[in-house]
Amino acid sequence: MFEHFVSFTEMTTHAIFSAFRPPVRIKESFQQLYFVANQSLIIIVFCVCFAAMVTILESSFHMRLVVQNDSMVPGFAAMLILRELGAVVTALLLTSRVGAGIAAEVGLMQTTEQIDALKMLGIDPVQYLVLPRLFACIFGGMILTIVADLVCIYSAMLVSDMYLGFSPAMFISGMRRFVHFKDLIFSVIKGASFGVVIPLVSCHFGFRCKSGAEGVGLATTNSVVTSSIVIIIIDFVLSYLFTHF
Amino acid sequence: MALAAINLSEVSISFEGNTVLHNVSLNVTEGESVAIIGPSGQGKSILLKLMAGLVPPTKGKVLVRGENLFEISGARRQKLINKIGMLFQKNALFDSLTCGENIAFPLREVTELSEKEIQKISEEFLAAVGIGHAKNLYPDEISGGMQKRLGIARALALHPELIFYDDPTAGLDPITSRKIIDLILHLKSKNTSTLIAVTNDMNRAYQLADRIWMVVDQQVIDAGTVEQTKQHKDPRIRQFISGEINGPLTSMAGGE
Repeated sequence: MFEHFVSFTEMTTHAIFSAFRPPVRIKESFQQLYFVANQSLIIIVFCVCFAAMVTILESSFHMRLVVQNDSMVPGFAAMLILRELGAVVTALLLTSRVGAGIAAEVGLMQTTEQIDALKMLGIDPVQYLVLPRLFACIFGGMILTIVADLVCIYSAMLVSDMYLGFSPAMFISGMRRFVHFKDLIFSVIKGASFGVVIPLVSCHFGFRCKSGAEGVGLATTNSVVTSSIVIIIIDFVLSYLFTHF
Repeated sequence: MALAAINLSEVSISFEGNTVLHNVSLNVTEGESVAIIGPSGQGKSILLKLMAGLVPPTKGKVLVRGENLFEISGARRQKLINKIGMLFQKNALFDSLTCGENIAFPLREVTELSEKEIQKISEEFLAAVGIGHAKNLYPDEISGGMQKRLGIARALALHPELIFYDDPTAGLDPITSRKIIDLILHLKSKNTSTLIAVTNDMNRAYQLADRIWMVVDQQVIDAGTVEQTKQHKDPRIRQFISGEINGPLTSMAGGE
């Protein structure tokens, strides 16, 4: 555990310092951004749609049960979506979709000596592999979080119109009472923070991958589990900090 | 006196408390061909990676052309690295790139050549190793022998003066492995480079080497020239050459 922490810190520090020296790998970074955004978009849109629908139905059910009135549901659900649901669900899906892919790719490169081959060319593997993925996940995380927020709110609005009796105008009016622009900013900050975690943890496990199919499988599993845990912890810390604003 | 391409001075290396090599001191002179033989798991590939600067020694110094790769950085290190080529045991081909791109990649990364020149050079190298037709194929779409050839072409793309081959004929049939060794020797004579190769095939070692080393018991035995190796008195070298089941290497491996 301590050994993992030390090597993770070393790799992260190395990545930060190498970001300030050439070469800047713009092409690779945008290729990774395309991979992150394009390949995860549909699954994220699909999943957050249902997550938002469940959220608004459950909110209404609990409010009716406790206070016998669900008039505040649109605003309450919209705030929950923006401050929590959109960013976290997106990050967890990105972890399983992109993080697992990064860990497997880097792990396979490690076990097939491709990383040694990069070193033999004088290429810094952290700069070549980690930085473009870090850039892609930070910006991809922010973009996808905004998309997820919009999709969530739209699907929550549809469900509240069809099943809860709130027209879109009522939903938007309720939402405007509770939701502020800063909630969207918090959501984007969360998306970017989770975007930092996913590639760093995944590359860390990839670089430490043991040979064989079992080694790659273990690196992938460990990266997904660790990223998910770290995301949930960071979510708690950020949520706590944001309650003060 | 000939210049030392590589100098190992009292080098030891351990992994998680297990010593692989202990107090090894060796020299390779410029232009020489050295074959490294030895039983599996004794540290031949580690020795090669030590010399190539991929693994730092636990103790001692490894000098490549008089410079310690772990003590220099920036342009000086890059300049030295550019003079080293390596064929890895598993070829280490970039599987997301085509055969042509695998050769173009080091040229793009390290040189200032134009894209047109890079394409021309990569085509020339593919043709030189006899796989010109595979330019647009991916490494997993070609045979093992072709992958070795591609690995050799990539290792030589930057015209290195010091080349490491980690088991260049592993898993290949005798005819293909003979062709690969002929190709390596042809390219060596063309580029007048220093060559260090790990192999378990004695026929290939004899064909390839000016000098043979054997890695065994955490040590490297300099067995001398091909003729000297064939006449060597060390029972471990004799057993390895003859392939006898009974002998010191078998007992060392925990056999009968």
